Amino acid sequence: MSIEIQSIAKQFGSFTALDKVNLKVETGELLALLGPSGCGKTTLLRIIAGLETPDGGQILFHGEDATDTHVRERQVGFVFQHYALFRHMTVFENVAFGLRVRPKHTRPNNTEIKRRVHELLNLVQLDWLADRYPAQLSGGQRQRIALARALAVEPKVLLLDEPFGALDTKVRKELRRWLKRLHEEVHVTSVFVTHDQEEALEVADRVVVMNKGRIEQVGTPEQVYDTPATPFVYQFLGDVNLFHSRVHGGFAQVGEHPVAGDGAVAYVRPHDIELLREPAPQTLVAKIDHVRAIGSIVRLELSLENGDPVEAELSRDAYAVQRYASGERVYIRPRSARVFAEDYAI
Amino acid sequence: MRFKQPSVLPGFNLAFGYTIVYLSLLVLIPLSALVIKTTSLSLAEFWQVVSSERVVAAYQLTFGASLIAAVINLFAGLLVAWVLVRYSFPGKRIVDALVDLPFALPTAVAGIALTTLYAPNGLIGEQLAKLGIQVAFKPLGVVVALTFIGLPFVVRTVQPVLQDLEAELEEAAACLGANRWQTFCKIIFPAALPALLTGFTLAFARAIGEYGSVIFIAGNIPLESEIVPLLIIGKLEQYDYAGATAIATVMLLISFVLILAINLIQWWHARRHGMRK
Repeated sequence: MSIEIQSIAKQFGSFTALDKVNLKVETGELLALLGPSGCGKTTLLRIIAGLETPDGGQILFHGEDATDTHVRERQVGFVFQHYALFRHMTVFENVAFGLRVRPKHTRPNNTEIKRRVHELLNLVQLDWLADRYPAQLSGGQRQRIALARALAVEPKVLLLDEPFGALDTKVRKELRRWLKRLHEEVHVTSVFVTHDQEEALEVADRVVVMNKGRIEQVGTPEQVYDTPATPFVYQFLGDVNLFHSRVHGGFAQVGEHPVAGDGAVAYVRPHDIELLREPAPQTLVAKIDHVRAIGSIVRLELSLENGDPVEAELSRDAYAVQRYASGERVYIRPRSARVFAEDYAI
Repeated sequence: MRFKQPSVLPGFNLAFGYTIVYLSLLVLIPLSALVIKTTSLSLAEFWQVVSSERVVAAYQLTFGASLIAAVINLFAGLLVAWVLVRYSFPGKRIVDALVDLPFALPTAVAGIALTTLYAPNGLIGEQLAKLGIQVAFKPLGVVVALTFIGLPFVVRTVQPVLQDLEAELEEAAACLGANRWQTFCKIIFPAALPALLTGFTLAFARAIGEYGSVIFIAGNIPLESEIVPLLIIGKLEQYDYAGATAIATVMLLISFVLILAINLIQWWHARRHGMRK
């Protein structure tokens, strides 16, 4: 089922959580709402679910206005950051809850409920935990149970609010892949909120980058990472070096990008910075302050003559050939850069 | 399970010793003295005292009325706690403070006030009398007084639990299609149940031992509206110390068994839900 969000606005007192947001979620896709905390992503998700009422605008589910539909009738599955499992019920009863509270004439009988719950528990690979209580499970297991519970009512839309936010890095990575696989299996329209760019880029079909109650960019993970529409997106998705044309003169002109004249800022990713030992045209002189090997990459911290810091990343192989040492003087130039006007500041 | 778990906080021996001494001085020694005094009676004499018609009637009234009052408080207390936690209204703080008044008020004052209200010529009693209901000087009056003094126990134990109940649980239930009544019955009530049981136990225990507020409104008619504590006082005034302790010992025993039973239910409940290992 598709979801259309039309100029949705929400104020909390004098704080604008959402400023006339428009967005279309296509049927069956897995969409990520990405942004820093306070950008309005969770509010938007809660408005889609019906847990929050918008001040203005409309939500269409499959072309039909659902703005005033109660959360009970919206048929959305919602997964909370802190699981919100019912502590006094077993895992089985948690998953069965949505089926048991149905009105009598649509409620499946006990054998049917049993079959469905075990089917879902098998889907999340936790059938062996059916008789445990939530307090006896690990965080990752709890979130998978929460997901099974949300899927039990056969929702038309699955909404996940920072689903992996409370878990440690390793479990997070596992669950990300698992969620991706699960989505390929059940193919329900899904929206998930995250502040972790890696998570959004890895899991989602499309990423919506939000900031201060507005949408900055919508696109596939490649699009938002490779061609960021705004400086904010550039900075939020990965590390970036800023070069002000005013300060660094001709440096902003290098690469294929046209010069934006005075007051331009060039955005360069650390892995796009090229290091040279010999002087060359359109380079800047920099001193290497620190060399740090982090897993598969080597990160160099440099400083320009005026003291501005620059970060560069090399692959291990490239570093093995060049063997830069801290304290060394090098010449840097960007392989590619994106130039934005200065007043487009963040 | 081990007797002593290693802990970063030192002082287990001191704290444990203090606990034992303190409990002994305040609870165990006085209560043992009570039981020992009772043994000055022979078994036959003891049985004669505690099985006399008047004493048995008093036991029935005390435990019966306490139980009814505690059950009333269970529901009324939950309701009051719910309103205080969930809604904001003008004067909420005053209402919140009112709940504690039965704690603070001298029980005799409460008893006299209730009697004045519920007596056949009192403000409420007069109206009820027209309906043929007499409260004061009847067992019903005992229930009223015990309900009054027991209310804060339930409210104050349930209130923090309701406050801590995550709104997300209700939102999750709503997303899954539960209506308000289902959410209350299946999510909120079970979550508050351990605290409700605790509040119930406290209110019940308090009501069993209550004296001051009851004696004014009860009328103290033997075999009808006479409570156990009053019987004990009566015996004491006649210098029948052994008789008084005999009645008290039986009361102590029943109370202890009842409270232990409720605690066991709670323990079993907590264990079943994996809150304790």
